[in-house]
Amino acid sequence: MPQFESHFFSSLIFWEVVSFGILLFILYKYAFPGILSVLEEREKKIKDSLDQAERHRSDAEHRLKEYEAKLSAAGKEAEAILAAAKERAQRLLDENEQRLTAEAERIKGDATREIEQERRKALQDIRAQTTELALMVAEKVVQRSLTETDQRKFADEALEALSRSQQR
Amino acid sequence: MEESPLHQFELQNWIPISLGGLDISINKAVVFMWIVVLVAAVLMVMAGSARKLVPGKLQSLAEMMVDFIRSMILDTMGKEGMRFFPLVATLFVFILFSNLIGLIPGSYTVTSQIIVTAVFSFLVYGLSLIVGFMLHGAKFLGILVPPGTPGWLVPLMIPIEIISQIARPVSLAVRLFANMTAGHVMLAVLFSLTIGGGLLIGWLPFAFTVAIYGLEFGIAFIQAYIFSILTCVYLGDAFHLHGHDEHAH
Repeated sequence: MPQFESHFFSSLIFWEVVSFGILLFILYKYAFPGILSVLEEREKKIKDSLDQAERHRSDAEHRLKEYEAKLSAAGKEAEAILAAAKERAQRLLDENEQRLTAEAERIKGDATREIEQERRKALQDIRAQTTELALMVAEKVVQRSLTETDQRKFADEALEALSRSQQR
Repeated sequence: MEESPLHQFELQNWIPISLGGLDISINKAVVFMWIVVLVAAVLMVMAGSARKLVPGKLQSLAEMMVDFIRSMILDTMGKEGMRFFPLVATLFVFILFSNLIGLIPGSYTVTSQIIVTAVFSFLVYGLSLIVGFMLHGAKFLGILVPPGTPGWLVPLMIPIEIISQIARPVSLAVRLFANMTAGHVMLAVLFSLTIGGGLLIGWLPFAFTVAIYGLEFGIAFIQAYIFSILTCVYLGDAFHLHGHDEHAH
């Protein structure tokens, strides 16, 4: 095989070491630092972005919880206000009703009393007029003057009779 | 068949040079080493100076490669292995570009020379020995006795382990050389069959040539990868003797 012809070995070894050395130097000096630093920078950037995203997420979650708590607190408050308002309205309604009932009761009572009074007064008037009328009639019928006592007696008897007939 | 399939590996001294009695004549393989260095350096430096957060195509490729080698080193050697990143990455780049440029018809595959791969493998293996003895001193000889070996087996294990240690650089060198040589020989044979077969039957070996060419393209990457990962493994063994550390494999 041509690869085993040893008289080329010295020049191949020499030039290989030289070329490899040069390549190593160039890459070490000018290529690898740039590529490695870009890789690291990108890694760092990605990591930072992920961290930031994670931070934002937990922040948002925290805020959401806060809002939810606030919302439920507000809901409870609204319920309490509503309940209080209902209670108050109910109380007002009850009070009004009581007051109106009492008023109506009072008006009814007044009216009944007045009617009763008027009735009694009317009855008295009727009794007085009837007595006079009876006296007049008796005087005319008897044509004689009776004593005051007789007159009263007759009148009472007549009245008695009248009221009995009236009651019947 | 007008020429041997091995003809492509023959070298002629184009410009004879002698340095203090040492023959360093320029031949085709040397010229292609320069081309490899030139192409690799230009592409990598261009990629390295782009430094964009959102990379272009070239920068992406170079970053992919660098990231690949970096994770390879971190997996086998751990964080302190990054000291060897320039060496491993340059080895990978050099071998990969040699393999790929060698696939261009009419060019020369530098890595198909056994002496070229041997220099790399002895460099790597020698470095692993140096690192091992520097870190662990004489205890590094314990690499010849795998952990858990019963006492009476030690006299047997030491010669076996010595052979396996010697096999490391030899296999490293021969694997790359043999893969590159075999691939190119196969391509040459198939293509000479195509020429010899004429139109009637020649299409069959030609189809194989195309298929094998695609395969060789993959092998160019795979062999560069194997060479550099074995470099990492050998250096890692020297780092973590018997896998005492957490990054052992």
